[in-house]
Amino acid sequence: MIWKIAKKEFLLNLMTFKFAVATVVCVVLTAVFVPILAKDYQQRLKDYDDNVSANEAKLREVKVYKVLTPTIYRPPTLLSVFAEGLEKRIGNSAKIELKSIPELNAAPTEVNPYLSIFPALDISLIFKVVISLLALLVAYDVISGEREQGTLKLILSNTAARHQVLLGKLIAGLLTLVVPITLTFIVELLVLEFFPMVDLGWSDWARIALTYIASIVFVSAIYNISLLFSCLAKRSAISLILGLFSWVVFVVVVPNGSIYLARRTHLLEPKEKREGQIKALTEKYKSEREEIGAKLPSGGLEYDDYGPFGEWYVLLCTPSGAEYWQKLSTLRNPLEIKYADKFWEVERTYLGDLFKQNYLAKSLSRISPVSLYENVASTLAGTDLASLQYFTDNVRVHRNKVIDYIRAKTDNFSALSYFTPSTQEAREQFEKYARAENWQAIDELKQKTIDNTPSLDLQDFPRFAYRPDVVEGLRRAALDIALLIIANVIFFTLAFVAFIKYDVR
Amino acid sequence: MILHIMLKEILEEILSLRFVLSLLLVICLSAAGGFVFVDGYRQQTQDYWNETNENLSAFSEQAKQLYELAFYRQEIYRKPKLLTLCAEAFEESLPNNFRLNVFTFNLPQVKGQSNFTIPYFSSVDWVFIVSLILSFVALLLTYDSFCGEKEAGTLRLMLAGSIPRHNVLIAKYLGAMFAAGIPLLIGLLISLIIVALSKDITINTDEWLRILTIVVLSFLYLSIFVFLGMFVSTRTIHSANCMVILLLVWVGLVVLIPSLGRIVSDVTSRSPGQEEFRRRLTEAEEQVNSDVAAGKYGENAGRRSPNPKECNPPARARYINASTDAENRVIKEHHNKMVAQAFAGRNLTCISPAVIYQRASEAIAGTGINHCVSLFQQIKQYQSQLKEYIRNRDRQDPDSLHLLFDEENSVAEWNAISKRPVSFDTVPKFQERDLALGQSLKLAIWDIGLLALFNLVFFAASFVSFLRYDVR
Repeated sequence: MIWKIAKKEFLLNLMTFKFAVATVVCVVLTAVFVPILAKDYQQRLKDYDDNVSANEAKLREVKVYKVLTPTIYRPPTLLSVFAEGLEKRIGNSAKIELKSIPELNAAPTEVNPYLSIFPALDISLIFKVVISLLALLVAYDVISGEREQGTLKLILSNTAARHQVLLGKLIAGLLTLVVPITLTFIVELLVLEFFPMVDLGWSDWARIALTYIASIVFVSAIYNISLLFSCLAKRSAISLILGLFSWVVFVVVVPNGSIYLARRTHLLEPKEKREGQIKALTEKYKSEREEIGAKLPSGGLEYDDYGPFGEWYVLLCTPSGAEYWQKLSTLRNPLEIKYADKFWEVERTYLGDLFKQNYLAKSLSRISPVSLYENVASTLAGTDLASLQYFTDNVRVHRNKVIDYIRAKTDNFSALSYFTPSTQEAREQFEKYARAENWQAIDELKQKTIDNTPSLDLQDFPRFAYRPDVVEGLRRAALDIALLIIANVIFFTLAFVAFIKYDVR
Repeated sequence: MILHIMLKEILEEILSLRFVLSLLLVICLSAAGGFVFVDGYRQQTQDYWNETNENLSAFSEQAKQLYELAFYRQEIYRKPKLLTLCAEAFEESLPNNFRLNVFTFNLPQVKGQSNFTIPYFSSVDWVFIVSLILSFVALLLTYDSFCGEKEAGTLRLMLAGSIPRHNVLIAKYLGAMFAAGIPLLIGLLISLIIVALSKDITINTDEWLRILTIVVLSFLYLSIFVFLGMFVSTRTIHSANCMVILLLVWVGLVVLIPSLGRIVSDVTSRSPGQEEFRRRLTEAEEQVNSDVAAGKYGENAGRRSPNPKECNPPARARYINASTDAENRVIKEHHNKMVAQAFAGRNLTCISPAVIYQRASEAIAGTGINHCVSLFQQIKQYQSQLKEYIRNRDRQDPDSLHLLFDEENSVAEWNAISKRPVSFDTVPKFQERDLALGQSLKLAIWDIGLLALFNLVFFAASFVSFLRYDVR
């Protein structure tokens, strides 16, 4: 019986105007948006590839370990086409250096702050808005509409039990909605496959499959909400109005309102505290540095040059200067590393505060299925906050590896190869010329040193390798998926209870 | 007759469930928005004055020596505006902190209560309520204005009399506008009462005028959706189909098209990234360095030592100034491109009445990205004003070398800028100026015109469509 009812409902739905229009709109929107999004992803991927190769090229020009401060770039995720998340709002590069620990940031050089006035466009927006609207429009007259037409009492006057009728209508509704969802995914994947530079790996396919399932669960939750209103109202116009208002509340009011409320209720720590801490640390660091510098005799004349990454190093110095720098590096570098940690602690506390606010906003918004779906989509796409944090954690681990490598190669920063490429002979010549004030000879010596020094052999230099943790992402998305399933169950149960007591005459 | 039909429409709407629900939703949102605004605004104003006074007091310490005034990095904050009650315009996510000294400036930053880990969100201000919620309500109120009456059979009865069709159209429009206007006005009144009753917030005359203008704009905006609803109603036979079409059009106009702004501007006019910015800075510096080596600024411009007689201070000043100018040019260009991308994104999406309305309200309220841009220009003007002041005062000191350039240790050691104290009262201090209402209106005039044009187009469309509508 259930299947008979389901089949009849499904075929009827397929022939309605609303289904046709909404499906066509979905397909057209997908066909229009996906190429634009894919082109943008292509551009970002190209920028990333260019940056990484430029970085590699610069590595080949490094002459001393002091200037070995490469930048690590975050690759753009293909699935950001589906759910943009925070990908464009947070910086995607991190410098590896002794004096700072990389952390999440949105500095104006990395991220254009004026673009924060725009909402994100991705395919999940079509699901959140258009397909959920279709779900609403399919379900609002499922019970109340049939009552108005008079066919509901005819069905129930026979041997069809109420639960069979409702289950049949649920199955039919879900089958109806699976059609536009599937079509949207097919169009999206077809367009993506045709784009050069776009390469879908097995983990991408797995995540797309899971997103597909999550989309179905989400749309069915909206369907069940509308079904509930249909079972409560006697006239379909009333159930439509109720459904539309709850849709507006879930789609527009709750996502924005929850963030707005979270920002006002959980106020961030005043920045004076953080700035005061940073100022105090800076003073302490400066004084400790000066203390170390004061203990050592002056190095004398020297010429500096800049490495490919922008850091300076000592090109030429006197032999006593070399000794000075050796001692200084051995004493100052551990201090720099220590203070980098301390500054990072302050930054981490600040970020922890931001994350708490974020978490509060997310929790408040979980009453809306739309927010739950958004969370799932961005987690599966790898563009949520936790994925970006995971990347930054990996960068920090890499930084430690680089520091250990430099330590090993320069015997804990004491080797001359740490800060200068000049030979003992060149340094002695430099001292002679400096005493004679023979500037031309010095210039020639500088040029000779630059030309003759080979770049460092970085074959065993640790390279940054990053794989997004798909399993961890699934674990994080599990809560929101579970909540969506629970929402489905709750709303269907309520609809069921309402339908049992429904007056069908 | 128009009045009769109008009154009938109004009564019918007011007694319907959709009106009651809309009113409830708007009242709740306005009240919540009002309370949250009052708290937030108070906090922001307090923070702003604390920061500004701190900056001024630290700045005044520098008046003991003129040259220190030049090198002190002031931190100027953007003033919070009361009219963010009407159009918050994402001010909390836009840059509000400007650091500069007399020679150079940093890229504006976002400081304060902003949280970059939170994705985009819209504050619950009037623009949000009107552009999203009330436009939806306007469509709900008018979707069955013609096709619903046709299904009920009352349309043909009405037109069987001697009422001309255009009277019916006008009457229905006025009725719907009245019905949509009630939640609008009640919502606005509630939030205004909440603000007016709060202790330390007062609204001055200029702000009242702007609020009134925004109310008129809101009615203009809603009228577009009323005409749209009526137009689609006269093109369909079943009210259910009309509802479907209107909902999809609403979603497209109000939700989807505004979201296109970012992605289309990324593809067409993306601002340069960090690497490009750094590369330009390095290039500019290298150019200046090669000019120095070529002797463009004079002999020994590259030499620096504590004794001015050992080097060539004027040459060094020219060199450093050239370097600073080159750096400033790169920063200004980068900033201009960032702003240009945001404006391009906005402009590309102004097919949507929601974007036009938002832009117009922001221009009249004086908030949002226009506020940031005008503040940035005012700060640049202040920077040159301060520089002029320092130059003039420096001229009065016969001991100084009268060379203004951005190298603090050299300037101090060579006495390039006067070290005499100045009275802090004579030092120019930055004060943010608001645009006059006339100027704000000028900024918004195109958008108001566009809204009026939309109204005209949809009115003409519904007029022509209804004249040919089969009412049987």
